[in-house]
Amino acid sequence: MRKTLYLVLGIGTPVILILAWFAVSAGSTDTFFPPLSYILERFQALWLFAHFQSDILVSLLNLVIGFALASVIGVGLGFVLAMLPKVGEYLDPVIHFFRSIPPVALVPIFVALIGFGVEMRVTSIAMAAVFPTLIATVDGLRGVDSTLKDVSAVYRLSTREKVLGVYLPAAGPHIASGMQVSLQTAFVVMIASEMLGPAQGIGAMTLLAQQSFMIADMWSGILLLGVIGFAANMIFELGRRRLLAWYIGSRQLAKAS
Amino acid sequence: MKPHQLGRGALGLLGSIVLWQLIAGTHLAGAALPSPLATFAALGADVSGGAFWSAVGQTVGVALLGLIASALAGIVLGVLVGSFPAARYSTLALLEFLKPVPPIVILPLVVLILGPTAKMAWLLTFFGCLIPIITQTMAGVHDTDPVARDTARSYGLGRVEILWRVVLPSAMPFIGTALRVAAPVALIVAVVAGLLGGGPGLGKNLYVAQSAGDYASLYAYVLVLGILGLLFIGLSRLGERRLLHWHPSYREEMV
Repeated sequence: MRKTLYLVLGIGTPVILILAWFAVSAGSTDTFFPPLSYILERFQALWLFAHFQSDILVSLLNLVIGFALASVIGVGLGFVLAMLPKVGEYLDPVIHFFRSIPPVALVPIFVALIGFGVEMRVTSIAMAAVFPTLIATVDGLRGVDSTLKDVSAVYRLSTREKVLGVYLPAAGPHIASGMQVSLQTAFVVMIASEMLGPAQGIGAMTLLAQQSFMIADMWSGILLLGVIGFAANMIFELGRRRLLAWYIGSRQLAKAS
Repeated sequence: MKPHQLGRGALGLLGSIVLWQLIAGTHLAGAALPSPLATFAALGADVSGGAFWSAVGQTVGVALLGLIASALAGIVLGVLVGSFPAARYSTLALLEFLKPVPPIVILPLVVLILGPTAKMAWLLTFFGCLIPIITQTMAGVHDTDPVARDTARSYGLGRVEILWRVVLPSAMPFIGTALRVAAPVALIVAVVAGLLGGGPGLGKNLYVAQSAGDYASLYAYVLVLGILGLLFIGLSRLGERRLLHWHPSYREEMV
């Protein structure tokens, strides 16, 4: 009985909120808050599918390529640094300094170096998003249980077997949470790189709409970006749960006992 | 940290500055990559002027005020919503949707309403830190040991007293983590608000330096932001440890 009530509340409240927005904003003449029906109309006109290829696809492609680059470089470099502790000691402060720079602050530098093109956007995204993954990978590998290391030495596992069979799974949960932060950073930098300077992309369109006072277009851009941010995180989360099912299961068991 | 680690780290830093000098010396990137010497000279000129320090003050002030406001609002809302299952379930979908959406998404709207002002930057920072603090506080409240709660009730403690003495202390590690994560985010959002929204502070200086082609200043500001970022991360970590030194998960760490 109680459970059904909570289920109804869980599904019902968002629906009511959206309906309330629809009802309250209907016929609104407030410049900043146009009617939701009009926003949705503009949403359809803009994104489905007039600007789909020219802007949405471009933005998403930059995000995916930048994030993929950041993940590969972050995990790869992380392995190198963790396996060669001395090199790690030399580079640790430099890496932590770069990690501390607010990621969007790197965008103007890449604009200065490579201009406003697609390369700049992908590079900015990759460079800003690499650090969370890199640091999490190093931390995860350094935290691998020493018994595991000893056992794999006793069994004389080859380097390949050790890396793929022991180290990668052991550090997997760490790496995954680093990558999740990287994905969010990548998303922020994707928008920032589009908003800075005259360019295509959803962020650029949204800011342009605001500057030219097309308020409903701006709202539709905000909605689209919100949905993309949510969807990107959800897809990542689903993938993480699949890959780390063994870990999540063992954690739940440990918690239950 | 051991002394030889410190030495190696310093060497690594020095090495990367030398590498920077060598790459800048090739003039491959032209004026877009100033040498470290030129950058440090620009930094020195900035540091001696008052405008620089007021920009630093504005950025740090916006970040701190936004963080404090979102901490207060987030903890209160998190405790309130987390204490009532009905409220928790009603807000679940909304919070889960908003959590992965960064504040930069609503930047155009906030700038539209408030203009390129410090208030705009503050509001953006507030929204940027609020949702994670609410959800983490709720998780902490939810995580309270039911036995401890029932024990307190059978000792005749009132609702408010249970909240203050049992629920809040047991939620503290969650809140502490949320604040530690939120502190660097606050700085990032304060910079975003300046860089893209035109709010006063270092972010705006970055934008001005970049569009004026004053690259030495641009790099100097990025260096300053890196140092500020380190400070925010370091101090929030220290603060979390000071605040929670009594908690079991931290006591173990000390031993």
